[in-house]
Amino acid sequence: MLFVQLLLGGVQNGALYALTAAGFALIFGATKVFHVAHGSAFTLAGYVFLYGWTHNWNSALSSLAAVAVAVAFGIGMERLVYRPIQRHEGSFFTVFVAAFGVSIVVQNLVGVFAGRGFASIDTPLSNASEVLPELFLADVFWVAIIVALVMFVALTLFLSRTNAGVGLRALAQNPDLLRAYGLSSSRLSMLAFALGSALVAPAAILTAMTTGLNEAVGNHVMLLSMASTIVGGVGSLRGAALAGLLLGVAESVVLVFLETQWASAASFLVLFGFILFKPSGMFGAAVAR
Amino acid sequence: MIAYFANLATLVAIFGILAVTLNFMVGYAGIFSVAHAVFFGLGAYAGAQIALTVAPDPLLACGVAALIAGVLSLCLALPALRVRGEYFVAASLGLQMVALTLFSEVKSLTGGIGGLTNIPRPRVFGVEVGVLPLALIALGLLLWAIHAMANGSFGRTLKAIRDAESAAEALGKPVAVAKALAVAFACAGAGVAGALFALHMSFVNVESFTLDQSVLVMAMVIVGGTGTLFGPLVGAVLLLSLPSALSFLTFIPPTEVGSVQQIIYGLAMTLLMVFRPAGLLGDQNKGKSHQ
Repeated sequence: MLFVQLLLGGVQNGALYALTAAGFALIFGATKVFHVAHGSAFTLAGYVFLYGWTHNWNSALSSLAAVAVAVAFGIGMERLVYRPIQRHEGSFFTVFVAAFGVSIVVQNLVGVFAGRGFASIDTPLSNASEVLPELFLADVFWVAIIVALVMFVALTLFLSRTNAGVGLRALAQNPDLLRAYGLSSSRLSMLAFALGSALVAPAAILTAMTTGLNEAVGNHVMLLSMASTIVGGVGSLRGAALAGLLLGVAESVVLVFLETQWASAASFLVLFGFILFKPSGMFGAAVAR
Repeated sequence: MIAYFANLATLVAIFGILAVTLNFMVGYAGIFSVAHAVFFGLGAYAGAQIALTVAPDPLLACGVAALIAGVLSLCLALPALRVRGEYFVAASLGLQMVALTLFSEVKSLTGGIGGLTNIPRPRVFGVEVGVLPLALIALGLLLWAIHAMANGSFGRTLKAIRDAESAAEALGKPVAVAKALAVAFACAGAGVAGALFALHMSFVNVESFTLDQSVLVMAMVIVGGTGTLFGPLVGAVLLLSLPSALSFLTFIPPTEVGSVQQIIYGLAMTLLMVFRPAGLLGDQNKGKSHQ
């Protein structure tokens, strides 16, 4: 039963990882920006929801505020940091360092204003009940899975059925051709950042309800999203989401054999192995060196 | 006060070693490692164990530290040979996270979270010496070596690989060997810094080898200017004096000094990249010509 319990816990975390990973993969795929500050959008959204909750806002209002802050952060990063850098030089490392700087700033600002250490909220959703002998499940488990599924269906429909969605996929494949057809790559990049950042908000809210948030949670989110994007195969949203789910499950199930502190090392070993032996990931096209 | 400045100077020299060796990888070879603290840590644990179990001889400690860090740098060289750009950064992040877990879990060698304590003062031929002169000598030697290599054929090969790997390979440059050697040299240098750090602090634990530390060293390189000889040193001096400079600003509550310091260097990294991507001492016109 312990195994099943861990497996279900892993699925719950994995569903949330899948959301953040899909956001990262969407941004990286469409704009080729390695958005290292992706975790900061998560932290900000989570803490805004926490703020709203502790100040007795309506939970729908808190959620909307969380989404709005994440989207604003994503668009702000694109406009104020990535765009100016790409205009004058565009080396990927410059982008990486700038984004890392932002994530350090966000982490410490949150620490100063919201306090350090774990903060979580208690909702009726996070009360676990025994569904089978020795198997505990909280309602939030179902919420996480349903939210993740709904978001993916919506995202897939958006990318395949609407003009803007098709434009995003075109931007990922051939930005020059896109411009030749008279579409605005700058507007589509902003859309990619807005959508990708919006995807982290539900994950952040659900994390606040389950394991809780701390000011450094963004680092973990960023590392996992990055790992999932690479393991899943760059350019494949489905791959990133599936890898996020798998890493979440692996992190949890590995506890059957190992102690807690090895859990994240295990997922980074998986990442390391993929980079060494199959850098194109599970679903990606081959990468040039 | 003198003791305070001697301590600061020693730390500057040690982090100077870290920064100039990382700069050799980043600035000359184009290998963007964010795992430099891993090799700093390997060197520190190796040096500490030598001083604790064999003899507090700094030369022996530095030698063993350099050897261990240099050999294990293969963990970094392998992904450097396989992938570039974002993928390599991701691999080095992965290495950093795995190494950190190992540092805190392999308790027999590293003492775990508690660390290794009571590391004896360094002695050369039975005479106790300070770490500051040793660190300055090591820093000077490394700077000289980097200067010599950067202007020699090895440095030119590395720069060629950095700017156009396929072209360098087509011209018959030994790409794999050159990259592996550059990584081994830089990591061995970080190992020496680690051994000196352990001897200086007489205490090491995993806290000093985290991702934050790797990023701090990277920030030193970036702030000073990648690919310049003295830029990383300037960065090391600036970033290490920041905490003491902030302690003079009395309106910041002492509990928040750490955060304010982090915010300042995070902001500095971002603003520099947006407005002055080549760093303080870097050539601002580099890289603009191809647009």
